[in-house]
Amino acid sequence: MAFDIDEYAAGSRAVRWDDLDFDHFRDNPLPPDTLRTLRYMTDVEYHTICYTRDLLTTPSHTDDDVARFMVTWNREEFWHGEALASVLRMHDIEVGFDELRANRLKFGWRDYLDPATQSTLSRLVGKDFIAVHMSWGAANEYTAVSAYKRMAALETDPVLAELLRRIAQQESKHVAFYVSQARKRLADSRKAQIITRFLLDKVWRPVGSSIMPHEEVVYVFGQLMSGPAGAAEARRLDASISALPGLSGLQIFANSFGRLLAEGAAPVPA
Amino acid sequence: MTEVQERTDFDVRAFARNAQGPFRDELDLAPFAAEPLDPADRDLVRFIGRVESATMEHFRDVLMTATHKDARVTAFLVTWAYERSWIADALDAVLEAHGDPRARAVAEERARRRWGERRAWRGPLWRTVIAVGQRDAVVGAHMAAGLIDEWVLGAAYQVLAERAGNGALRKVIDRIAAIKRRHEEFFAAETHRRLTASVRAVRVARGELKHAVWPIGSLRRAPGDRRRFHEAVFGATDGWARAEAIGKKVAAIPGLTRRIGARIAARLRKR
Repeated sequence: MAFDIDEYAAGSRAVRWDDLDFDHFRDNPLPPDTLRTLRYMTDVEYHTICYTRDLLTTPSHTDDDVARFMVTWNREEFWHGEALASVLRMHDIEVGFDELRANRLKFGWRDYLDPATQSTLSRLVGKDFIAVHMSWGAANEYTAVSAYKRMAALETDPVLAELLRRIAQQESKHVAFYVSQARKRLADSRKAQIITRFLLDKVWRPVGSSIMPHEEVVYVFGQLMSGPAGAAEARRLDASISALPGLSGLQIFANSFGRLLAEGAAPVPA
Repeated sequence: MTEVQERTDFDVRAFARNAQGPFRDELDLAPFAAEPLDPADRDLVRFIGRVESATMEHFRDVLMTATHKDARVTAFLVTWAYERSWIADALDAVLEAHGDPRARAVAEERARRRWGERRAWRGPLWRTVIAVGQRDAVVGAHMAAGLIDEWVLGAAYQVLAERAGNGALRKVIDRIAAIKRRHEEFFAAETHRRLTASVRAVRVARGELKHAVWPIGSLRRAPGDRRRFHEAVFGATDGWARAEAIGKKVAAIPGLTRRIGARIAARLRKR
């Protein structure tokens, strides 16, 4: 079914947490490993604007539906950041605008070069490059939904679990948009399928990899995707992305999570 | 690198929290049945709606620069874009009350580059390359551009309200003006703070604003639509005075000059 952008935009609300008892964290603080994962997800949510920047290197914004989605999506993701930052604040961890700016400044030269690279690729490939970004977005949003659901399932704290479920619910709509766009654009072009397949297989890394320190990526996906349940989740995600035209058989999630888990399990060199 | 550490008093979080979402259902559109707008006024409504919703075109320019690193500014811009999309929706509601399709449902002619717009048409590749040299000094230029855009669109809404002389439209415009007041407040405070604090920011702002095209979001609109907008808002004696008044306000921005103000006024008058 086609994604209804009007319905999505009109129905969009900032994620609510004012009805959740965050004071409960004063007496029941979250453990350090949960806070570390939450901090990762907070940054990922706030830095959505940086991913928007990548999307805008293609002519995708000239499509009214895509442009309208970007507006609402950015706002929802900002509020996910705000909600998670509020949980962290209850644990005296501040993620304010200054901290976010400082993090973005650490991205360095790659951050300047990325849009130039993507813009060049977009000019070389043409409109088909939008399919890459839409499929990439689908893969990222799949990872985000999965991460929140896994966290909620592993989480024993009822307040945090409820907040994570609410965020995951909104992220599912983002998945629906990207998947509908990717499916349409991939179905229309064999060239788009070949390029998308190649780039997803060779270059894609789990959400947050381009903006967070590598040890944090290893830590977070080690927490969320280990064990038989994590492996089953990776297979489920691979089946979803493989259902897109021309992407059958891709195992980007199993491969990426597998690499990160292997790194996390490896002994630290003396 | 000159960094601007202080903040203005504008509470970005409160702005984001209280953002204006859909409000077309709160508008009284029934009077348009008895007292419709004429086609020229609806044409102006359509054009303004298109530029209000062209925020991603603007993001394509500003996010390629260091502006994307300033989390407070991007938090504002995300909400600014959201509010503008619902302003455009309210203008669509006005059109639909006349039986017209909403703005994006009407095919636009292909945009064409005009004389003197080469720099404004720069794509992401060139913007990224230039941004390396501009660093965070460019944020001030983007804030000033946002401020001037508010003045330009403010003039357009004023013309629309006066020309149409329609009570129902006046109420819609008043509602929109209340939303846009907060946008102007943020851009004004940030422009003043950044251009007062940094000589580099002033230099970059002078360079960028000289070549900017107004209003923001109009660059990729159809040539005929752009011409009609400039004729309606900045044409004839009244329009020239409006352009002149904006030019004077530009000249009063810290670090900017009468020459830049005059240049922007001239660009507004150009059809």
